[in-house]
Amino acid sequence: MSDPTILILASLADGDKHGYAIMEDIQVFAGIRLGPGTLYGAIGRLEERGWIRAVKSESRKQPYQITAEGSQRLKQQLTLLEQVVRTGNRRVREA
Amino acid sequence: MIRWVARLYPTKWRNRYAAEFDALLTEIAPSLRDVCDVLGHALRVRATASIEACMMSAAVSGTPLRIPVVVSVTAHALMISLVVLASWGYVTPMPLHVATAPLPPPTPEPPPQVTDARVFPDAGSLYSSLPLRMPVEGDASRLYVAEGVGINFLSLPDIGATYRQGNTEWRVWPGQALEGLIVRRTLPEYPRAIKTRGAVSVFVEYLITRDGSVKVLRTSGPAPFTSAAQSAIEQWVYRPLEYENRPCEVVSRVEVRFDSEFAESGMSR
Repeated sequence: MSDPTILILASLADGDKHGYAIMEDIQVFAGIRLGPGTLYGAIGRLEERGWIRAVKSESRKQPYQITAEGSQRLKQQLTLLEQVVRTGNRRVREA
Repeated sequence: MIRWVARLYPTKWRNRYAAEFDALLTEIAPSLRDVCDVLGHALRVRATASIEACMMSAAVSGTPLRIPVVVSVTAHALMISLVVLASWGYVTPMPLHVATAPLPPPTPEPPPQVTDARVFPDAGSLYSSLPLRMPVEGDASRLYVAEGVGINFLSLPDIGATYRQGNTEWRVWPGQALEGLIVRRTLPEYPRAIKTRGAVSVFVEYLITRDGSVKVLRTSGPAPFTSAAQSAIEQWVYRPLEYENRPCEVVSRVEVRFDSEFAESGMSR
């Protein structure tokens, strides 16, 4: 769950955010503080893959928006994670 | 400092993200961890950009893409070979069979210093032929037998226990463990005036004082036999005993067995 791309997609699923807002949001909902290099490394990869896009802004703070492809990808990843969590919980209970 | 590190990002990246990245840095208070984070990612992006540029130029110039791969594999193989060669002199193969020196023969226990000529150490075989109660199975007590009288070292349940009375401290040790320290032992005389037939056992608890002399603390059994055992045991002498480099007093217990049949026959082996 520490994959920064999934965390960023999950953050942007709640609405458009700029870099600092994404960092703060992730720290709140996941308890993980992404470093600035990690954050922008992941933003660069997500933008290259077309899963997020920059939104026009007059400010230096550049907001980002999740794309339809990004939403689809996020849903797939969350389904997989859910399955992992369910299986892990069942096995822990049986152990 | 973090802004200086951010300059390590390649130009293409800076053209795209520099403004918003700088805005982000103004909002956070960058820690040393953040500096390391930015440094690591800047170097990674720069390395990735270099590889991409190399691949692009190779594609443009028509150079086969296999060449960088071959060069990389060759360089890694060369480095691994050098490491192996360098370590060759430092590593010796493990021998399949380690020759071990033969163990020295066990040091025999020093024989007890007994002055009573009638005492026969290690007389377990003789004792086992006597019609007395056999020692408990597994009990490795050493026995002394002469003219119908035997001494059996008891397996004490409270070995190592310490008893205190005022300033005096006694430690409990089995008589067998004290054999190397005995200087003089006298076996009890069979009380021939007694008409009792058969075998009689008495138990004696005694104290070895700091000067090595013996004082009987208590006895158990028929009175004539306990008196005979007590008067003999109080003649025993040990070397002064020490515990943790301090003189100490030691308590031990023995069983003394009297057998009328062997006393009458005068059997002493």
